[in-house]
Amino acid sequence: MEWDWEFVWQIMPTLLEGFKITILATVLGAAVAAVLGLAIAIARRSPVTALSRTVGFVCEFIRGTPLLVQLYFIFYVLPDIGIRLPPLVAGVIGIGLHYATYTAEVYRAGIENVPRGQWEAAKAANLTTRQAWIHVVLPQAVPPMIPALANYFIAMFKETPLLSAITVLELMNQAKSIANSNYRYIEPMTLVGVFFLAVSLVSVVGLRWLEERYARMDD
Amino acid sequence: MKTGFLAAASLAALMSVAGGVSAFAADLEELKEQGFARIAIANEPPYTAVGADGKVSGAAPDVARVIFERLGVKDVVASISEYGAMIPGLQAGRHDVITAGLFMKPERCNAVAYSEPVLCDAEAFAVKKGNPMKFASYKDIADNPNARIGAPGGGTEEKLALEAGVPRDRVIVVPDGQSGIKMLQDGRIDVYSLPVLSIHDLMSKANDPNLEVVAPVQGAPVYCDGAAFRKQDVALRDAFDVELKKLKESGEFAKIVEPYGFSAAAAISTNREKQCAAAQ
Repeated sequence: MEWDWEFVWQIMPTLLEGFKITILATVLGAAVAAVLGLAIAIARRSPVTALSRTVGFVCEFIRGTPLLVQLYFIFYVLPDIGIRLPPLVAGVIGIGLHYATYTAEVYRAGIENVPRGQWEAAKAANLTTRQAWIHVVLPQAVPPMIPALANYFIAMFKETPLLSAITVLELMNQAKSIANSNYRYIEPMTLVGVFFLAVSLVSVVGLRWLEERYARMDD
Repeated sequence: MKTGFLAAASLAALMSVAGGVSAFAADLEELKEQGFARIAIANEPPYTAVGADGKVSGAAPDVARVIFERLGVKDVVASISEYGAMIPGLQAGRHDVITAGLFMKPERCNAVAYSEPVLCDAEAFAVKKGNPMKFASYKDIADNPNARIGAPGGGTEEKLALEAGVPRDRVIVVPDGQSGIKMLQDGRIDVYSLPVLSIHDLMSKANDPNLEVVAPVQGAPVYCDGAAFRKQDVALRDAFDVELKKLKESGEFAKIVEPYGFSAAAAISTNREKQCAAAQ
């Protein structure tokens, strides 16, 4: 078995097709995780016990079960009750929801780090709860969490090959299908690794920059 | 420059490892000594099946088991694999022979050493009741811009669909038969293609009055599979062929495959050369 450059160039367009889907799934999944995570974090702090308890339980449930099982559930079981999602949408919801439960913890830590005095000051200035969240607490809570959030998004990016299990034609699935029809694994699988490594390395540099920029704002 | 050197060095290391593993060979004496042969199967009844108790059956493993027994290898140990992964797995030494209904096609004949034909079957479609999109051939699927076909990854049906001109994004790779039927029921795919006997088996298990079978698919040839060995294991393949021939002549072959619905006469009337040249 030898490395064949000609084969590499021949399969490159197909892999790039898959890579686009991988990036798309990551970006959409990250958006879902970022928004939903914040919603979960706020809901868990809600004074309405029924709401905070329910959301808390659902989070524990999602975090305690494997992502692959959840994807199968969304893709193969939900159609039984009439919810039929296209593969990519099912994948984005699955991966976004899963990571939202983790990002919610990041948000929680960030929010709890805002000194109590800020809440009291907001109240003293006659701001409503909504105004206190939007104008006082979140602007102080969000910047320090950006590096931690980005870290989860990189982890999520590396989990996208799981989407191949629910027939999303992302990078890994394209590579598998190339290997399946050419009986060669060495080039497609190596390239999948290279693609992921390339993006991860760039992301790590970006992450470091974010840390410099935001995490040490108090200094 | 340091990183460049490291990359070159690790690539070189990778190459030497890759170069080192090409020399697998299974000879009969070794198999006899270890007492079993490792076979690759797919769990697609009636070709290959794994019972709830883990027992391996199906026409292809049954034939292989009898032949290996006569060759003095007491047992076969099966591992389930995707169709597309079988040949690379064979070449990488993960199993000794593929007995899975992997139909002979010219490019597969180039990659492995096939035995004489064992199981022959035509292709079929599973569709919604009444065949609403009027599929009779793979060409019909290519011509309908809304039609999505499900097929096993790296399987014959995936290739037939692609060759007929169905674009890649309308050929959905289905992981297994049950998921294929489920996806058809859910409307994720419009047609699911497998060999005739496999579709019939799945349909009888699914027992869904809203589905029906189109068989045989027009324009798709009748394919035969054979036991597939590594190219360097021709000696083992030849020994297998001798016993297979005896089995066919004695009529025992028919006794094994016909209860599963396969035609023994179809396999006896053709041969490897014809099948390997068939699609060209």
